[in-house]
Amino acid sequence: MMTFNYIASFFLIALGFYTIITKFNLIKTVIGLSIADYGVNLLIISIGYVPGGTAPIFTNGELTPLTYFVDPIPQALTLTSIVIGACVTAMSMSLVMKLYDSYGTLDTREIRRLHG
Amino acid sequence: MSNFMNYVHFPIYSVMVLFLGAFLIVVLGKSKMLRSLIALLASGCSLACMIALIKPVMLNGEVIAYWMGSRALAGGYAIGIAMEVDALSLFFGLLISTAVFVSCVYSIQYMSHDDNIPQYFTLFLMLAGGVMGLVLSGDIFNMFIMVEILTFAAVALTAFRNKVYGALEAAFKYLVVGCMGSTCILAGVIVLYANAHTLNFAQLSSIIPGMMGNTSVKIAFALLFVGFSTKAFLVPFHPLAADAHGAAPASISVLISGVLTKSGIYGIIRLTYFLFQTMNLGTFRFLLVFVGCVSMFLCVTMALAQHDFKRLLAFHSISQIGYVMTAVGLCTALGFSSGIYHAMNHTLFKGLLFLAAGAVLHETGTTNLDELGGLSRKMPHTTVLFLIGAFSISGIPPFNGFASKWLIYQACYQKAVESGNFAYVVVTVICLVTSVLTLASFVKVSQSVFFGRLPEKYENVKEVPWGMRLAMGMFAVLCVVTGLFPDAVGRYLTHPAATAAFNVSNYIDSMLGAGAASEALGPFVSGAQNVVFVQPGVWSPVSWLLIMCIALLAVTLVAVSSRYDRYKAPEGPADAKHSLFFSGEEAVYSQVGGSDLFWGFKYNWRHYFSFMHDLHSGILNDYALWAAVALALAMLFMLIVL
Amino acid sequence: MNVVVTALLDLGYILIFPGFLFCFLCGMLLCGIERKIVAKMQKRVGPPILQPVFDFFKLCGKETIIPAGTSRTVFLAAPVVGLAALVVIQLFIPIFNFTAFSGNADIIVILYLLLIPALAEIYGASSTGSPFAGVGLSREMVTIISCELPLVLVLLAVGKAVGNATGSGVVFSLQTIAAYQAENGCLLFKLSMIPAAIAFLLIIPGETGTHPFDAAEAETEICEGMLAEYSGKPLAVFKLSHAIKMLTMTTLFVALFLGGLGTGILLADGLIDFFFCVVITVCVVALIDASTARLRIEQIFKYYWTVVSGLAAISLVLAWFGL
Repeated sequence: MMTFNYIASFFLIALGFYTIITKFNLIKTVIGLSIADYGVNLLIISIGYVPGGTAPIFTNGELTPLTYFVDPIPQALTLTSIVIGACVTAMSMSLVMKLYDSYGTLDTREIRRLHG
Repeated sequence: MSNFMNYVHFPIYSVMVLFLGAFLIVVLGKSKMLRSLIALLASGCSLACMIALIKPVMLNGEVIAYWMGSRALAGGYAIGIAMEVDALSLFFGLLISTAVFVSCVYSIQYMSHDDNIPQYFTLFLMLAGGVMGLVLSGDIFNMFIMVEILTFAAVALTAFRNKVYGALEAAFKYLVVGCMGSTCILAGVIVLYANAHTLNFAQLSSIIPGMMGNTSVKIAFALLFVGFSTKAFLVPFHPLAADAHGAAPASISVLISGVLTKSGIYGIIRLTYFLFQTMNLGTFRFLLVFVGCVSMFLCVTMALAQHDFKRLLAFHSISQIGYVMTAVGLCTALGFSSGIYHAMNHTLFKGLLFLAAGAVLHETGTTNLDELGGLSRKMPHTTVLFLIGAFSISGIPPFNGFASKWLIYQACYQKAVESGNFAYVVVTVICLVTSVLTLASFVKVSQSVFFGRLPEKYENVKEVPWGMRLAMGMFAVLCVVTGLFPDAVGRYLTHPAATAAFNVSNYIDSMLGAGAASEALGPFVSGAQNVVFVQPGVWSPVSWLLIMCIALLAVTLVAVSSRYDRYKAPEGPADAKHSLFFSGEEAVYSQVGGSDLFWGFKYNWRHYFSFMHDLHSGILNDYALWAAVALALAMLFMLIVL
Repeated sequence: MNVVVTALLDLGYILIFPGFLFCFLCGMLLCGIERKIVAKMQKRVGPPILQPVFDFFKLCGKETIIPAGTSRTVFLAAPVVGLAALVVIQLFIPIFNFTAFSGNADIIVILYLLLIPALAEIYGASSTGSPFAGVGLSREMVTIISCELPLVLVLLAVGKAVGNATGSGVVFSLQTIAAYQAENGCLLFKLSMIPAAIAFLLIIPGETGTHPFDAAEAETEICEGMLAEYSGKPLAVFKLSHAIKMLTMTTLFVALFLGGLGTGILLADGLIDFFFCVVITVCVVALIDASTARLRIEQIFKYYWTVVSGLAAISLVLAWFGL
């Protein structure tokens, strides 16, 4: 089951990069970035998962040698990563708005004043 | 722990003050006085902390292992968040804090015409804090966080002057490809975590080299390598640097070229020398040297074709980073120390050059090489400072660029002779030719900006304010000093850093306790304890300077005593005798502009230049494609070779 | 006492031999001989051999004109700096076994020190803003780029050849090269070094800017290019620098390829060295100068990066395989 997660996460990352490379619309580029980001998040969560494990939340006395739980560190990392992903989207969308204002288009083929 | 002034706390202070300063400016930034003071204090404190660490870390060879909240090892696993400062980290920390401080001094007067200055300083300090955190961190996930912080701050600052031609576009391209790189780094970090179940750098370094047979580790290496290459703007990520530098304010270009690219280099060094320890593989060294040489040569030719001052400088940045990569990739003691020596020098002279470009922009409002000219009469101090930077980058003795490049040539040639590999001879030749092309490029800048004819519209240009000249002067003094005393630089800075890079076991031991390294890695790391620096050539800049001074004095004395400089310019407009010679025609304004120089060279290479021009299309999708191809190639390389 | 003697001796090196006086006399003589030979080949009588000296003093007496719109400091300082830098290079090149200051710099450093006089001329010219100077400096820079690649290859080949023989891998120090040749005979007589020596001989006219490589100061098309606006004393100093540059390049050739022929007696060595310089100047500079026409700048570049670099590369490869 976890194999499926890994395949899915790398598929998402590849799909995100594919979107960035092939789509000429800036908004689609931003969507591509988000998809790649979700792929990484899925990867992080899958890595920390232990089959049959419980949530890593315990109060005193609940913790017995027989209980085992999923790795909490990747979950913490995912939270950070999600926040960063949201920031990326916000920042890039604001840049897209500004770009549309000054260039009047969202086509990457026309936004190339700097080249050569 | 009670003693707050103990030097073990200095690394965290130097990062903290920068972020603290950023937040204080948000709160108190309304007053110009106050925000300048906060920014200067924060960057100054950071620099002071780094300087105070020179003695224990560089000279006594200590490695500062600092656990946040004293949460050290638990059951042999490094769970807490750690900072680890060895000589290598400190070296990069020092040059970063120097560049940040000088750039901060410059910003205060340079940015005075802009609005939203508090936001500028906030982002500025965030960027600085991000890079400082990156090089001082002992934890790979925190490295990723810092990479994100600095990328964000850099993107925002690139677009800061969003009315500037192309600024938004540059920022967006940088954001997209930079985030692809960050995504790679995060994926790499997490795959490493899956294999080693730790994020601590020292512990990873003790576990990962034993797992190199594992496919997922190889993939992680490729991801991290490409991710940090994006931050160093190595080929094929160089167009982003060119766009970003051209659009960003000059003080930020200093940070992007002098500091951000160094963080990428630092990341690559940490990966290859520490985390994966692949530098003993000939093919892997070859990869680094190859990437370095391509960056070096491709970008210097790109720079020759530019006609914007800052864009030209940006391409030169990557070219110089290519030198650093090449030297570091040689994996010899001399090569490594000369490489990071050049990294330091690059920060200094490129900082100086960007500040000079900023000064020109500040006074004339343009950086187009075809429109400028003759500014040396209007801005004499800036001209002198620019020339120091230009001589440094093009490797004219006795400035610092020459000292480090000269060591790099020797290291390359020595490597060639030692390994018997003719490819390294070619590398040496490429290094030397790149240097003369760099010189050509800066002759072009001098001719078309500072010398030549002064266009009429710039008759009223004035010298820049003293604060900006002060900042440039600091860089210039450092350029001269580090060039004149290469031995002292070696003793106090580069040799300890190189020794640290070849002593992985020391790094691991000081974090995880003595004996941890040899237990985990076996005896093969302990061979590199004594790092010897042998150089085949001789060069003593001080005695050259002395002889040169005596010779100059002699010529000057003769010249002055024979009334060499006795000349009185006639009053009023120039008559036929005192105006320029035009074969008897009437004198007209005629400037041999930047684009027209070196025709003889460009003509022979016209197919190459037009191909390169078309290749750098400026379309985001192309650059993203290059990034993806680089990633795929890196993965293939790692899977086949390692 | 010793310090004073050493200081006086050093001062003597700088001012008299192999410093200013030696450079001035020998450079001027070389220049005069070259002009005489060219004239003879063109069936002219030619100027007296001391003509460059007369020219120098005549120019010193002429009025210096600084064109309007020039940055005066750079314009006047450039010739002075260029001359001083050139003489300092001469001090670093050993004359057979005699070394004034050769222990302070190796051949790679010399390669870069040679750029300083050229740069001084470029900056002096560019400070005037004259379009002729602009074209001239552009061509001069391309000539420098052209010569750089073969020169680098020659120096690496020499370093490797001496390194092979001394067993130390690679040698860049001029002193070691001189010492090696004193013991084992000239490098020129080594099979692998002959192409490099030819390449170096072909570089000399390029560096000194004589026919056919004088596109940078073509009198007939761009009015001496970089010197177009110079007059009086600064011009005299530049002319002197050109003469000394010829001496420097030929001495460098002698030091690199003919080092073993010294006698050990300083005066005799100086004379032998100067004799070789004259021979090289006559054979390479004067003969080629008189028998060829000016190349276009892009042809110069092509020529150096293909033919001359090819020769030097052959040497490098041969030296690499220990021949």
